[in-house]
Amino acid sequence: MTSESNATGDWSAALQKAQADMLRQWTEMSQAWAATGSAGAGAPAAAANASAPEGGPESLGRAFLQQCEGYLGVSSSLWELLNRSAGTPDPEQRARHFNDGLAGLQQQFASLWAVPPPGAPPAMAFGMPGMGGLPGMGGMPGMGGMPGMGIPGVGGIPGMGMMPGMGGLPGMGGAFNIPALGPTREQQESWQRLLQLGARCAQAQMQLSGQWNDIIGRALRELGERLAPRLKSGAPPGSMKEIYDLWVEAAEGVYAQAARGSAFVQAQAEVTNALSQLRSAQRELVEEWTKQFDLPTRAELNSVHQQLRELKAALAGTRS
Amino acid sequence: MPGPAEPSTPLQELGELPGRIAATFQSLQAASTVSFGASEKDAVYREDKLTLYHYRPIAASANLPPVLIVYALVNRPYMMDLQPDRSLIRRLLELGLDLYLIDWGYPDGADRFTDLNDYINGYLHRCLGVVLREHRLESTTVLGVCQGGTFSLCYAALHPERVRNLITMVTPVDFQTSDNLLSKWVQGIDVEALVAAHGIVPGEVLNAAYVSLMPFRLLQQKYVNLLDGGDQAQIDNFMRMEKWIFDSPAQAGAAFAQFARWFFQENRLLKGTLELGGRRVDLRQLTQPLLNIYAKQDHLVPPAASTALEPLVGSRDYLALGLDVGHIGMYVSGRSQRELPQAIAYWLQRR
Repeated sequence: MTSESNATGDWSAALQKAQADMLRQWTEMSQAWAATGSAGAGAPAAAANASAPEGGPESLGRAFLQQCEGYLGVSSSLWELLNRSAGTPDPEQRARHFNDGLAGLQQQFASLWAVPPPGAPPAMAFGMPGMGGLPGMGGMPGMGGMPGMGIPGVGGIPGMGMMPGMGGLPGMGGAFNIPALGPTREQQESWQRLLQLGARCAQAQMQLSGQWNDIIGRALRELGERLAPRLKSGAPPGSMKEIYDLWVEAAEGVYAQAARGSAFVQAQAEVTNALSQLRSAQRELVEEWTKQFDLPTRAELNSVHQQLRELKAALAGTRS
Repeated sequence: MPGPAEPSTPLQELGELPGRIAATFQSLQAASTVSFGASEKDAVYREDKLTLYHYRPIAASANLPPVLIVYALVNRPYMMDLQPDRSLIRRLLELGLDLYLIDWGYPDGADRFTDLNDYINGYLHRCLGVVLREHRLESTTVLGVCQGGTFSLCYAALHPERVRNLITMVTPVDFQTSDNLLSKWVQGIDVEALVAAHGIVPGEVLNAAYVSLMPFRLLQQKYVNLLDGGDQAQIDNFMRMEKWIFDSPAQAGAAFAQFARWFFQENRLLKGTLELGGRRVDLRQLTQPLLNIYAKQDHLVPPAASTALEPLVGSRDYLALGLDVGHIGMYVSGRSQRELPQAIAYWLQRR
């Protein structure tokens, strides 16, 4: 511990080298996949947003490297803090120094958990002038998926700004409550509803992000409390992995309590419910569009399925 | 794969990390073609997405009535027969049991209106009919697993004359125990809106909920632990489990909404207010021998959710058997492999 504390330069250099090595590995793997016909590109930091067939080596590599990046970020930050604290000779001061430093990690850790995992929906982009997409949607802290979160298709509808007869509706951004007028008033109302639901989703997302930020903060304090006796007695964790495991244990403990609380449960339910409403509204717009091209719609298929179901039941009744 | 030797200092640990990542990734790639399933079986009935399988015997018959295994709609039933050394089905076959299994398949958009009555009074009823006809029996043993156990309870209560023995495994009965985190989350969800938005509910949605129960462990730490080293067999096991966890069928919309509303939000099975096909599901109608197996460390179906069954049933031959494993450990853990098949066979032989 003491020798480590005297080698901050070594540590920083080693960290940079590890990050560079991971980047190089990713590049090499991407090139290998490209050579074998897979669409490989990018660096680990960009991996989360790259698109690749799920289940292939590229998606496996991307997911795994993403987890390793997360591990490196968490464990090296904690270890650096531990290193700095170890330079304080007084045991009480050492523990306090460590605890004070943990508070400074809250934002960094919360942002690590705000990265959506593979398969999470991308940020919404409606293609609406003045809307510009709602940042952060789908980027639920560390999960991209409370119940109902992993909704395919929330990430924007291709060509939605080009619905027949609408022409992109210039100036709609923020116009939630302007009375709809003219030949396209029905469509205008549909878009207004979509905007309102988008805003509701963003609001719900913020509420839940706040909950997550609080959980991370409490988890860091819990880690500090758990480590304080060891820091005071001069027996700190001896490895990055050990301190990482202690962090996970502390975080899960705090989360297990918080996730049962009414504030978290309500925030999570609101995100799910808002996204459900938004998705249905999006589909209604798509259906209007497809109807104009005389393409089959979901409602039409549903009607056919219902009729088939009734026919099967009638047939079964006849047989019995 | 790097060996299990620990680096002597964190500095060394950091220096070795990229190499460990590369080596672990190579092992994961090598494992990506691992096979699944250990026991031979024949499809004996198909309907819509469903397949009823009959397992081929591998030992002398124990001369017991055949067992129909009713798996859950969520996840795939090959967890019961994952690999030769981790297969409850194989262990039961070795003890001479005659096994059938319902594989519900992968519902698609055509199944959005399939409801619980279709599953329980329809598919399950007809599958059991196939088994009974084949063996010229009036009734036989049903073994329900997790949600399939809940279905089996409902079915046996509605058709007690066709279920000679009932075995439930990690089966929720009380959906609102205080330790049930998933249930707490479901209470505020507008399930009808969720189903209206999706039609059929993607498996990814359910997976997101499951991993969110322990996000720090299940979304990151379990992958980081791979860096600690292990042989290729361990990596293969990890990948099999990984495939099973995320190989989640979509859920038929109507059935999902009913299950979430009636069971999780309204707890109708426990309260005796559940109706299927116009008939009330009265658990007091369960008078046949009943073995209720639960996992003491289960975070998905807490023990109390399962053991709530005892005072509700009419059976005087009721046994609750708790194993010191988790929900998934019930299928694949060494303890379960050693203890559970023998316990089931022993219980059946005495009835």
